[in-house]
Amino acid sequence: MKLPCALALWFAVLAPVPLLEAQHAPAEAPSPPSGVQALDVPNDSGHAIEIRWKDSPHPGVLSYEVFRSRLPGETDPGAPETPWMSLGTVGPGEESWTFSSAERGIRYSFKVVATTADSSADSKIVTGESRAQWFDREKFWILVIGGTICLFVILFIQLATRGRKLFVRKIAGLEAVDEAVGRATEMGRPVVFVPGIMDMDNVQTLAGLTLLGYVSRTIAEYDARLDVPVSRSLVMTTGREVVKQAYLEAGRPESYNEDMVHYLTDEQFGYVAGVNGMLLRDEPATCLYMGAFFAESLLLAETGNRIGAIQIAGTAMPSQLPFFVAACDYTLMGEELFAASAYLSGDPKQLGSLKGQDVGKLIVMGAILLGSVAATLALWTGSGSLQSVVDFLKLEMFV
Amino acid sequence: MTPLEDIRVILATDCGSTTTKAILIQKVGDEFRQTHRGEAPTTVEAPFEDVTLGVLNAVTELGELSGRKLLDAEGRIIRPARGEEGCDLYISTSSAGGGLQMMVAGVVRSMTAESAERAALGAGSIVMDVIALNDRRLTHERIERIRQLRPDMILIAGEVDGARTDKVVKITETIAAADPKPRLGAGYRLPVIYAGNRSRRDDVTRVLGGKTSLSIVENLRPTLEEEVLLPARERIHDLFLEHVMQQAPGYAKLMEWVDADIQPTPAAVGAILKRVATEAGINAVGVDIGGATTDVFSVFGEEFNRTVSANLGMSYSISNVLAEAGLANVMRWMPFAMEERDLRNRIKNKMIRPTTIPQTAEELVFEQAVAREALRLAFLQHRSFATRLKGVQQQRTIADSFEQDAGVESLVKMMDLDLLVASGGVLSHAPRPEQTAMLLIDSFLPEGITRLAKDSIFMMPHLGVLSQVHARAATEVFEKDCLVVLGTCVAPRGTARPGRPALTYRLEFPGGKEKRETLLAGEMRRHPLETGAEARVYLDPARDFDLGPGKGVPLEVTVQGGTVGLIVDCRGRPLSLPSESAERVDALKTWIEEVGVYSREAILH
Repeated sequence: MKLPCALALWFAVLAPVPLLEAQHAPAEAPSPPSGVQALDVPNDSGHAIEIRWKDSPHPGVLSYEVFRSRLPGETDPGAPETPWMSLGTVGPGEESWTFSSAERGIRYSFKVVATTADSSADSKIVTGESRAQWFDREKFWILVIGGTICLFVILFIQLATRGRKLFVRKIAGLEAVDEAVGRATEMGRPVVFVPGIMDMDNVQTLAGLTLLGYVSRTIAEYDARLDVPVSRSLVMTTGREVVKQAYLEAGRPESYNEDMVHYLTDEQFGYVAGVNGMLLRDEPATCLYMGAFFAESLLLAETGNRIGAIQIAGTAMPSQLPFFVAACDYTLMGEELFAASAYLSGDPKQLGSLKGQDVGKLIVMGAILLGSVAATLALWTGSGSLQSVVDFLKLEMFV
Repeated sequence: MTPLEDIRVILATDCGSTTTKAILIQKVGDEFRQTHRGEAPTTVEAPFEDVTLGVLNAVTELGELSGRKLLDAEGRIIRPARGEEGCDLYISTSSAGGGLQMMVAGVVRSMTAESAERAALGAGSIVMDVIALNDRRLTHERIERIRQLRPDMILIAGEVDGARTDKVVKITETIAAADPKPRLGAGYRLPVIYAGNRSRRDDVTRVLGGKTSLSIVENLRPTLEEEVLLPARERIHDLFLEHVMQQAPGYAKLMEWVDADIQPTPAAVGAILKRVATEAGINAVGVDIGGATTDVFSVFGEEFNRTVSANLGMSYSISNVLAEAGLANVMRWMPFAMEERDLRNRIKNKMIRPTTIPQTAEELVFEQAVAREALRLAFLQHRSFATRLKGVQQQRTIADSFEQDAGVESLVKMMDLDLLVASGGVLSHAPRPEQTAMLLIDSFLPEGITRLAKDSIFMMPHLGVLSQVHARAATEVFEKDCLVVLGTCVAPRGTARPGRPALTYRLEFPGGKEKRETLLAGEMRRHPLETGAEARVYLDPARDFDLGPGKGVPLEVTVQGGTVGLIVDCRGRPLSLPSESAERVDALKTWIEEVGVYSREAILH
């Protein structure tokens, strides 16, 4: 049994030694990267050049380093040529580098250096220049969809202006505002409106304030009480203007009081504590939450539910929607919050653009569905015609 | 009053706006039957100004027809009955002089004001106007309106008990500022009922106590979650007798004659419908279409609702039916073409000559087309009124994410309806019972299995009052003589393309005869089934159709016959008539011929 063990040891340990010795022999210099090109990157504003080369056949190449030098260009013909500057290094097998901080109209020289463990070889020098394109053809579909949406928006605005009745499905939460305010009136208790916890730069806050206008007008008509605690000073200022305008429009300017809209704190949970305290003390008959909400959504809505208030919420924060749906009487979900203004006003321009956007979304959904199905089937069946549909959707023939 | 068990002869009158109708109910064998009927013009207006004259005339006619002496030499009703003379019980209803006309007021239109309206309508009144804080009128406009209308009574509701607000007092102040005067009788104060916030009673008394005859009852909405109508309804009834009836010409005398309180006619109709529905444990809808108004009553579960569509009627209000429904909607029921100018002329003629009746088949078809729309609109109003209470907190779960209804679902669910009762000239006096049945089906669109009936001679008001005194007699006469059972309508809910199978059924007639058939979508079929007869039906709806248990779920029921029989309606629910004129006319003709609504000559134009 001892002989086979010795043979195994010889093969495993001693036999590779001459091979290792052979690798330490003087290295042959790699052949330089061939086929180097400097090409303008298409569909951009003229700030990128792509350098391409062919991978060296030499097995010892460890990396490729790309260098650039700035040449005098059309915009500054007197500028001197700059020394070579390394742009970066890529591993073997890589065959391109994108120089993405090029200046438009400047010509650059490029070279690629192939490096082995102990030697290197420069490619020939090529020049290239970045140019801006008028159209980003990769975004062709966005142009098509954008144009289509615009056309439909214009079409529907025209139709609405000419008296065509545009169907907008009922939004239960908005239909219930009258009922909610009525409850507060009959019970002699206030209506609390919370416009979210974000500032005026948030589109949901804007949508919330639009609804505040509608709610305030109804409250003014019913001569009920309104209470709007806010967490941002700018929202307070804007909210006061909105409520004031609503009371004016309802013909009850004398009932407006600027303390209806009041500031609590910017701090998220400090604000929640403040509002919850109000809810428990005043026991409002109706609570409305319209805007951007985070962790406070359930804290507010649960408290409102506990005091028996009719609650209507509206937010585009997907993670908060389940809490509002479970704790409130009615919830405006996502888009409904933004559509509310068109829905309530019945203004032909707003209704037309709402309808046009809907058609646009429908087209996009259809295209996504078509693309997914075509790509899946093309993969399964290997059908050329299906692949051409996929290529068409991916703009392969344009780019 | 004669003891209940000894009552054998009952005299009942209904003093309507134009005629006073008297009926005689007698015990025949062991059961009560309506035996005779008399009629005379009502004498509330000048030159008579005494309602009892009309009553006496009607009773005299009744006596002549029945051969029974009902009045003595001094013109008094003979009581109790002795042999071939007199009666044991005399009762009456009244809608003469416009009936009981009320105004109601509340804080919010859809909450306390609606509850007040419901209480007033349920008590049989006509609600002339509803005042609410959100009715978009200015105070002076409300005051002007109250002064113009001069109601018989005002009902005020508003706020829940303990509400810390003064809205209801504001409403009261508006009414006080109007200083309303009653329609009848210059020398007495207008009755006002306060049924609002308990903690505001002193304020309301301070404002209205000196100017009106104020009475205070329980709050109609002690909380927004509950509605208490009974105390207010009872007080309305009391005040109707104490004040309104006392001022109407001749009513003081009539009230001395009767053995039970006089009731407003609609209240009596509602009472008998409610009693019958409750006793039989069914859901029922009743309709009374008149010349000026259409009343709809519904009893679903324990909920009774009544609405009056004041502008929908077949003579005085016929123009308004056309205006509200639109000519196209009326024309869609016409199985032949007519010129628009001709139609408009006919309608205006009917309005200015309300007592005329159709002289030709063409006129009859047209009048019934208008009636379909009047009934449809009145029923729509009723369904939108009979809803859950507004302003109540909803409890949701995450499953409600995409199904948050705005809470306007009607309590009147057609699939749950068991009995549909028709009343009023155009329905009760239609030349063929098939016409009444078809009018009901087209206007109300019953779903599932629904029995159809009509009030033979508008006896429901009499029986409504009788039911308060002698329930057994009222129920027996209602079932045997009042209701003319038209038959049963089987109508699956759902739609499908015309020509696709909708319902397969097997009928087992009395005597063992069987019939099996498959109806296609858009088809109707009538199977004669005599009054009193019953047939067993095995129904197997197609997968898009539902007869109650669910889409495509088979059902086995016993249906009752009538003067029309069994009608199987597979035209679909909701019903949509073909949009193409020629197709629509063809479809109408097919249905008319199948059910036997009109003669072939009537529709061949």
